Amino acid sequence: MKRAGWQKWIVLVSFALVVVATGVFAVRTVRRAMYWRLHHDEVIRPWMSIPYVAHSYGVPPHIFYQALGIPPQLHDRRPLKQIAREHNRSVDEVIRVLHEAIARERATHPTGAPPPPDQGRSP
Amino acid sequence: MSITDQLLGALSQYGLPVLFGVIVIAAAGIPLPISMMLVAAGSFVELGEMKLWQVIVVASAGAVLGDQIGYALGRWGGHHVVSRIQRRENGAAKIAQAEAFTKRWGAAGVFFSRWLITPLGPWLNLTSGMAGYPWMRFFVWDVLGEVLWVVLYVMLGKLFSDRVQALVEILGNLAWVVVGLIVAAILGWKVLKYMRPSATMKEEKDTSRALT
Repeated sequence: MKRAGWQKWIVLVSFALVVVATGVFAVRTVRRAMYWRLHHDEVIRPWMSIPYVAHSYGVPPHIFYQALGIPPQLHDRRPLKQIAREHNRSVDEVIRVLHEAIARERATHPTGAPPPPDQGRSP
Repeated sequence: MSITDQLLGALSQYGLPVLFGVIVIAAAGIPLPISMMLVAAGSFVELGEMKLWQVIVVASAGAVLGDQIGYALGRWGGHHVVSRIQRRENGAAKIAQAEAFTKRWGAAGVFFSRWLITPLGPWLNLTSGMAGYPWMRFFVWDVLGEVLWVVLYVMLGKLFSDRVQALVEILGNLAWVVVGLIVAAILGWKVLKYMRPSATMKEEKDTSRALT
């Protein structure tokens, strides 16, 4: 009986903990979904390629190549960390240059404006 | 740089071989960010860097192979581990419980842990092997579940190709919510079961008192 009572408490406490943990994850899911709905931009990470950042931010890739001072490439699958390594720069510096280019592009071409020529963009 | 960044960078650069390798290792039980890899692969499909059918075939094959490794470890290579667990306090009971769970929920457990409650997948591979769950049945449900998982995540990545990080965060949290709800339902049912006998005993006492 004593053992059964002890087991009962374990089950009850586990149940309460699981309910709390599930609630926390549910709240996080809803908060992320709401944030996602309101904020379109992704955080730029070292794994991303220039075509991916261009696609995510709706900026033509040649703007980024221009800003970085490197020749545009078709089907460029290199992650930013490799581009940084190839050009003796830090990833943070490359990301900063991309952010600046995005800000400039958005200031000069607000939403709805026709995009400039599309060199270096994947099909 | 995090392991996720390293793997995604390799996926972006080398494509399918990296996808296959990472999925095999993760399905066999090593925790790696495979949901992120699949969603990112879907995004690369949208960008024209990868082909959809190739991603689906290669990722499904990798996942099924990894699951078979987990199953084989549980079935043939796990005796040493099993005997070590058995020697521990309540170890035999825990293994018996895992085996009973696999036998009871076998097909549904294998199928749903492939795509809906993915955090439990590697554990179910091991316990299915340990419990001697029929290999052919395991294989069929495994293939069905994994193909569904791959198609689902790759298509989500393709659909939301400009926001893969946010999508993966939401999917990751959602998977744990589903796991939590299932565990809460099982524990809640146990709590009810514990409470019921005492209620029945009280009723019996009242009835016998009324009779005397």
